[in-house]
Amino acid sequence: MNIDYTKELVLVEGNPRLADIDEIITRPLTQPPTRKFYIALSISGAALLIGAYSLWLTLYYGIGMWGNNIPVGWAFDITNFVFWIGIGHAGTLISAILFLLRQRWRTGIARFAEGMTIFAVMTAGIFPVIHLGRPWLAGYLIPYPNQHLLWPNFVSPLLWDVFAVSTYFTVSLMFWYMGLIPDFAILRDKTVDKIKKTIYSIFSLGWRHSNRHWRHYEKTYMIMAGLATPLVLSVHTIVSFDFAVSLIPGWHTTIFPPYFVAGAIYSGFAMVMTVLIFVRKVFDMENIITLNHLERMAKVMLLTGSLVAYAYLMEFFIAWYSQVPAEQYDFWARVVGPYRWAWYFMISCNALIPQLIWFKKVRRSVTMLFVISICANIGMWFERFVIIVQSLSRDYLPSSWHMFTPTLVDFGVLTGSFGLFFTLVLLFAKTMPVISIVETKSVLEGSQPSVHGGSHHE
Amino acid sequence: MNENKVLHSVAALFDTPDKIINAARKVKDAGYTMFDVNTSYPVHGMDKAMGLGQSKIGYVTLFFGFAGAVFIFLFMGWSMAINYPYIVGGKPFFPYQAFIPITFEVTVLCGSIATVVGMLAVFFNLPFLSHPIHGSNYIKEVSVDKFGVVIEAEDPLFDKNKVFEFFKNLGAGKIEFIYEPEKQAIKILQPKFIVFLAVVAALTSFSTYFTLNKLMYIVPFNWMDNQKKSNPQSETNFFYDGYAMRTPVEGTVARGFMPYPFHEQALPSEPLANPTLPTKQILKIGQEKFLTFCSPCHGNYAEGVSRLMGQFPPGPTLHSAKIIGYSDGMIYNIITNGQNAMPSYAYQIPREQRWAIIDYIRVLQRAQNPKPSDFQAIKELNKESGKNVVN
Amino acid sequence: MSSTEIGYIRKELPEKIKTIGLTLFVVGTALGIIGFLIDPQRASLSYLVTFMFLVSIGVGSLFLVALEYAVGADWSTPFRRISEFLAAVIPFLIILVIPLLFNLKYIFPWTHKSIVDSSVMLKGKTPYLNVPFFIIRSIGIFLIWWVFYYFIIRNSRKQDTTKDQYLTKKNINISSGFIPVFGISITAIAFDWMMSLEPNWFSTIFGVYYFSGTVWCALAALTLIVILLNEHGYLHSKIKSEHYYTLGLLMFAFTVFWAYIAFSQYLLIWYADLPDETIWFMHRWVGGWKVVSLAIVFTHFIFPFFYLLSYNVKMQAKKLKFIAIWILCAHFLDLYWLVMPGMSTNGYQYSFSWMDLVFPVAAVGLIILIFKSLSHKYNLLPIGDPKLQRGLDFHL
Repeated sequence: MNIDYTKELVLVEGNPRLADIDEIITRPLTQPPTRKFYIALSISGAALLIGAYSLWLTLYYGIGMWGNNIPVGWAFDITNFVFWIGIGHAGTLISAILFLLRQRWRTGIARFAEGMTIFAVMTAGIFPVIHLGRPWLAGYLIPYPNQHLLWPNFVSPLLWDVFAVSTYFTVSLMFWYMGLIPDFAILRDKTVDKIKKTIYSIFSLGWRHSNRHWRHYEKTYMIMAGLATPLVLSVHTIVSFDFAVSLIPGWHTTIFPPYFVAGAIYSGFAMVMTVLIFVRKVFDMENIITLNHLERMAKVMLLTGSLVAYAYLMEFFIAWYSQVPAEQYDFWARVVGPYRWAWYFMISCNALIPQLIWFKKVRRSVTMLFVISICANIGMWFERFVIIVQSLSRDYLPSSWHMFTPTLVDFGVLTGSFGLFFTLVLLFAKTMPVISIVETKSVLEGSQPSVHGGSHHE
Repeated sequence: MNENKVLHSVAALFDTPDKIINAARKVKDAGYTMFDVNTSYPVHGMDKAMGLGQSKIGYVTLFFGFAGAVFIFLFMGWSMAINYPYIVGGKPFFPYQAFIPITFEVTVLCGSIATVVGMLAVFFNLPFLSHPIHGSNYIKEVSVDKFGVVIEAEDPLFDKNKVFEFFKNLGAGKIEFIYEPEKQAIKILQPKFIVFLAVVAALTSFSTYFTLNKLMYIVPFNWMDNQKKSNPQSETNFFYDGYAMRTPVEGTVARGFMPYPFHEQALPSEPLANPTLPTKQILKIGQEKFLTFCSPCHGNYAEGVSRLMGQFPPGPTLHSAKIIGYSDGMIYNIITNGQNAMPSYAYQIPREQRWAIIDYIRVLQRAQNPKPSDFQAIKELNKESGKNVVN
Repeated sequence: MSSTEIGYIRKELPEKIKTIGLTLFVVGTALGIIGFLIDPQRASLSYLVTFMFLVSIGVGSLFLVALEYAVGADWSTPFRRISEFLAAVIPFLIILVIPLLFNLKYIFPWTHKSIVDSSVMLKGKTPYLNVPFFIIRSIGIFLIWWVFYYFIIRNSRKQDTTKDQYLTKKNINISSGFIPVFGISITAIAFDWMMSLEPNWFSTIFGVYYFSGTVWCALAALTLIVILLNEHGYLHSKIKSEHYYTLGLLMFAFTVFWAYIAFSQYLLIWYADLPDETIWFMHRWVGGWKVVSLAIVFTHFIFPFFYLLSYNVKMQAKKLKFIAIWILCAHFLDLYWLVMPGMSTNGYQYSFSWMDLVFPVAAVGLIILIFKSLSHKYNLLPIGDPKLQRGLDFHL
């Protein structure tokens, strides 16, 4: 394919009119659910039920139901937490960072990714709480003047996590809702159903497409993007501090913050890609979520996957270079130790497989991208598993080494987390515009006045 | 038509972004101020065409973000270093480095909440569902693919027909008159509403009661009340005698406990020697304990004048020659075992403090019977420091 | 070609610039040679600081060029040529490194057998930290950079006359290949030339730390030159405040990125409190270095952050020019702070030397000379680039 570099890539294919955009995007909302939708929902619902049952067992009998032990006090629980928080990062990255970088191809995927951020953070938020053992005591993490006259320990990275994740959730939710307001207004004006109209009216807050509002709205969107960008970096940075401020070999290394952020973006993009490939197929949105979108996302995955590979390299090199025996042993144990299978998964899925994206053929093949994105998800889960479980099970003292074996309940909770996430995603896709109507309209060919340079720039 | 309704505004629809930009510019140039452009997405260059400047909302973010940062930083410092000073992980009381992550998060949180809420509630005055424009055909078309401009009736230059002509000349597709909605009196105290309130109140109270008194005490939320162990002072069928508590084995000596060899013996005091030195610190302890335990009967200066005012047999003065003549061990024995009406203080006063009290009693005795050399010493001290040391 | 349909009119830079550059270069070099004769150790370290600064400008600029190709950015196309000229420092690095290679014994403790033998740690590191391998690595990396520089720049220049779109495609491929190579090589350079000054110390993030400074510095150099040239009409009338704004925004972004990386490194070492690691920060806190460390925090983060936060600053050429110079100085100070405190022979004390200021003068002179001679031969705008028109039309 020859590209004409004097022109920008077309973002919306098929040259639709403004009214068509409304039609395409709101179609899933107006039509009754199809059989495919029910099948998908029942699968995710079943997974959710498995998770709910496992969670009930955990709460009723205590976390002895899990395979956690001493020294492996963190296992599936924290692995899942870090994994889901990581998934959440792509949404904000797409909506905020790509917005600031004026990457207009984000319009087709931003809303969906933002929604996934919120659901992923919700899913992630469950894990640190249930891992407390007595989750109803989690309220003590909030600094309020309590009856014990004690404040939380502000020096602990675990408390930083509380602040980071709750801030991240709040800001993402506001950002998401803010983008939805004008879309709700469009739906409100479009629908004839009275109940729907009432709901849309309430959520659109009486938005009236006024340009006097757009003026502040665009600025606010910019500011929110500006705030969300460092925020998204800070969240996984702080998650990485949970590990890196300690002295456990394999945890205490200074590259952790950017390394975790890169990994988070990598896994997040993989998950967005997995889900979008489905959505564009199921809801006929191939013109809006084009192959170009997928290709660009693949490139981001290649970049972040390579950054993760760079971090692996640095870790190994410095572990040797530091000449600290415990560090050296820990990294050697990753390759030849009892958890080496997890490490092989991690290396092949995160560092090697994404390198296929270098080839244009792979980048433009939906099947290949789907496979790669699934691999990336698996690889990133195993990365957290390797970091957490492997390092804890091979501590400084050989006498306290201990293996971790997951139980059925562990797997049940993991399954349930996927169930929760996908149930929420499915419901979202059916009830709200999964692509920003407003933004898609504003990047359409001919939607901007010609005196201002056509539709070329935001 | 609609003769008795109040006109809110006149609205015109245009087909293309170029036309709406042009229309907005013309409306502005015609001198209208209370007009607005409605487009379902932001049209670039419209702010300029309408004569709107830069949005100032950034200052809201800046102010609240900064306020949040300062507040949380000081708050963390206060709670960790002043309110409950606490060393964690060998870090200083005020580990400002460790406060940076949370300070950052709170900055973002405050800044973004203030910006969004401020924009929606203060700048836009939303929610505003009863705006006359809602429900008109005009907004329905704007929502899809048209571009609209409205001039409000409150504009000083407004004239219904003139505006109509003006829009027509601009090439508007459709022109619509938008009327104020009829005012409807809202009755708050409708029976339906009161019933609704009552139901909400009942539900809230019940669920609160249920959660706090029932739910939180069932398994697994039983706050560890229900554990498989026997509490002290309770019954158990585990032991033959039915007591949950066990008595120690004969001859058991508790940790940190030294048996007193002269338990309930009046004398002898020979092997007992005072292990303390009458330092300032010891005397301070002695004074405190003397005032607490001894002075009620023996008086504040051990002069035997009781505060009890005859409700209890008065304690003797400790300045008698007999008691001055007692050895330290003798007094210790009396405090430990008690004597006559005086009970044992072994359980109230730990050993070291008993000795400290004895040191203090010696000081009181010496103060009552000073030697000439003491006066000399005080004089020298006074001279040295230049003031009256004794007082 | 003096003018094109794009509206670029080529003007020759005044000869005065050459004189200035030559004067600075000659004076700096002469004083530098004197420095090497008087105190070879101090001179070597001072020279190293300036050398790293040149590496920052050279390879950082090449990275910016590659980045533009790889991500398909158009706004920066009108001044890509400026970065290309700055990247012309790269071929000189191979020559400039020679004085350092002859003075390795003054710079790196691990070159002394007695020091290595006294430490188990250092002995273990000898497979990596030994003189022959060190020299091979450095020269090899400079050569690789030079190869990439040669191909990217050649294609870009060829396009001025041929206007062949295929060259853009080719450069996109080369640039995409360069970025991972750059990532690894800049890390190796940072480890070799700066981290191994204190060979017991290690930090996995150190390569990223130097990278963040490199790009920041290259951006500042680009901004400064673009504004200087454009103010006097050497570039294009369509390059306006919105382009400046984007440059300012990027500088702001990298200010924050650097702070993020620096803080991550500091916090993790401070929190874990391991003597092996904290010693590096101790050397930068005691013996008079405290002031320099605090100055880094201020000049490298606090001031540029608050200055560039404002929308108006980023739109104004004059203010951006000021902050660009500030950033260049701050990056130099940062390198100084990375290199100098490791000097163990003076008991880790801070001491000022006139030599610290001599080498940067020569470096500035060198950059001016390179720039002048290249601008004499080539257009200041990549007039054949298909993205140029889009770049000139760029607006926010």
